[in-house]
Amino acid sequence: MTTPLLQVKNLKTWYPIRRGVLSRTVGHVHAVDGVSLEVHPGETLGIVGESGCGKTTLVRTIMGLEHPTAGEVHLGGTRLWPQRHRDTLPLRRRMQMVFQDPYSSLNPRMTILDILTEGLLDHGLIRPRERQSNAVRLLAEVGMEPSVLHRYPHEFSGGQRQRISIARAMALRPELVICDEAVSALDVSVRAQVLNLLLDLRASHNLAYLFIAHDLGVIRHIAHRVAVMYLGVVVETGPAADLLKAPVHPYTRALISAIPAPYREARNRIALSGDVPSAARPPVGCRFHTRCPFAQDRCAASHPPLSPVGPQEGLHSVACFRAQELTGKPTVNSPNN
Amino acid sequence: MKPSNPPQQTDPTPQPDTPILSLRNLCVEFHTDDGTVSAVEDVSLDVRRGETLGIVGESGCGKSVTAMSLLRLIPSPPGRITSGSAMFAGQDLLALPSERLRQVRGRKIAMIFQEPSAALSPLLRVGDQMVEVLTTHLNVSRDDAGRIAVDWLSKVGIPAPQERMMAYPFQLSGGMIQRVMIAMALMLEPDLVIADEPTTALDVTIQAQILDLLRAMKKRDTALILITHDMGVVWEMCDRVIVMYASRIVEQAPRDDLFHSPCHPYTRALLDSLLSMNEAGGRLTVIEGQVPSPLAYPAGCRFAARCSMAADRCRTESPAALGVGHGHDSACFFAKTLRATPLQRRNTSP
Repeated sequence: MTTPLLQVKNLKTWYPIRRGVLSRTVGHVHAVDGVSLEVHPGETLGIVGESGCGKTTLVRTIMGLEHPTAGEVHLGGTRLWPQRHRDTLPLRRRMQMVFQDPYSSLNPRMTILDILTEGLLDHGLIRPRERQSNAVRLLAEVGMEPSVLHRYPHEFSGGQRQRISIARAMALRPELVICDEAVSALDVSVRAQVLNLLLDLRASHNLAYLFIAHDLGVIRHIAHRVAVMYLGVVVETGPAADLLKAPVHPYTRALISAIPAPYREARNRIALSGDVPSAARPPVGCRFHTRCPFAQDRCAASHPPLSPVGPQEGLHSVACFRAQELTGKPTVNSPNN
Repeated sequence: MKPSNPPQQTDPTPQPDTPILSLRNLCVEFHTDDGTVSAVEDVSLDVRRGETLGIVGESGCGKSVTAMSLLRLIPSPPGRITSGSAMFAGQDLLALPSERLRQVRGRKIAMIFQEPSAALSPLLRVGDQMVEVLTTHLNVSRDDAGRIAVDWLSKVGIPAPQERMMAYPFQLSGGMIQRVMIAMALMLEPDLVIADEPTTALDVTIQAQILDLLRAMKKRDTALILITHDMGVVWEMCDRVIVMYASRIVEQAPRDDLFHSPCHPYTRALLDSLLSMNEAGGRLTVIEGQVPSPLAYPAGCRFAARCSMAADRCRTESPAALGVGHGHDSACFFAKTLRATPLQRRNTSP
């Protein structure tokens, strides 16, 4: 087993809730509440979950854009936090990010040349006179013409902007690229083009991706492994093909069955009632028990740990007390017991 | 040309098939600093009672402008409906005086928008906004209106509806607000509901709940025009589908027909791209190139530049809608060839 490129151990990111004239902290939003995961070189880990499940806070904390409340983030074997930002700068170069909205993630006042070479200059990797040649090389990698160098972001379509964002992320020759819903805002025909580009880059640079998406079709296509998050915790993780074909955790089942898929005949949808509870007061016990069709008394009493299921020990893990009895059961809406 | 045939179809079922809304030859222009763009060109469609008609297409294809134009909701200027008629209950919505149109809007035709939070006033309580709608359109007292509103909030699955009446929109989640919007749309029992990407801003488990509500509404014989870019939603919800590309309708067909034997290369490429998604790891089938800018639409078929079948003729001549049977029309010169070759369903892993 190779050493993981990225290792996250029991990471927690809480936001204080302040009230009153003295801004006293009256509670915390448990955005990320004890997440552990690993990404190996060249591997793609997909993270799925609905809004508010903490997936964006998780990757922002990994990137150092938020301060963790507890836990550890290791990149290439070195701990990122709580070192001083300056000391980890050379390390951070190895990890870059592509954001969801290609309209707000590119500075409208910078030319494409500036956008692509700012990081290279900041890290002292090139001299100013080498900007042009480096930018042209990056554009070629994402399939764009050198003629766009002196243009501004507003002159490009969403798909082209996302290519520019990817070229910017590739500038520092990272080993890990974090994609936060990087293709969600794109139209179907353009989305396929950008996904193909990400697959090509992965193959040619042995890139690892931490890939957040709510579209399970996209995840199935690009991810090797998947982690499913609900209210700040990982409820299920495993190889993408297994997990999406035979989900075990009741939440994963509900999530997969809720996605409208073309050509699917009469599905047995697990209807979830109600909304996701507030992360400021997450339910005691299993966080999903308030909406779970399989919940029992013990689910409200304590939090089930992630435990392995299935034949390949250690690959597929589920945080559910009833995981063993649910494994292998078809994805149907069965009543309690 | 054959000599004029006598009308063959003597359909015994009398009227249920007459469309509730009949849009003909709608054209909409927008005046921008860069010139006049045509957002919708020659769009015609029919919706029947209890039917769900899907309009799909990528951003900028004109699907939302079509829907907004039906209720004359496009901002004018810069927008302008240059031609067309929309017959609804014997009157042309596009020619109706605004006073009369206001009685139709909301009352007979309701609209559900993509951004529900932008469609409600942030300064008024949810209940007050609902009561205002009810007292404006129905001859009811405020107290009765309040009761009707509470009743509808509980019908769309909002817990503690009495308390929610007092809430301001910002106090509700996106799914809740969309439910309020649906309650507001349905409480006047309209004949037609136009939903423009009603679930795009929502999470999938909430989306499933909202789609269930819309499906239940269909059972009451309400017609629904559903605008979406999600082929999965189309598959689950729609009876008939219109596909738009670059301001024009390129194909329209019953759902199964469209998904199994698409007769326009654009629809085919979209579905192909979706299906290739099921094969993990492999390269996705893509539609090369980009949607043309509405400022510089090419002559001929607008999809020609991205089409693998395009011939010289496609670049000079605009293909008209061609019927290929079973209410299936395609604006492609090769529609008949495509009809003969149904879409190959790929082997999804067993």
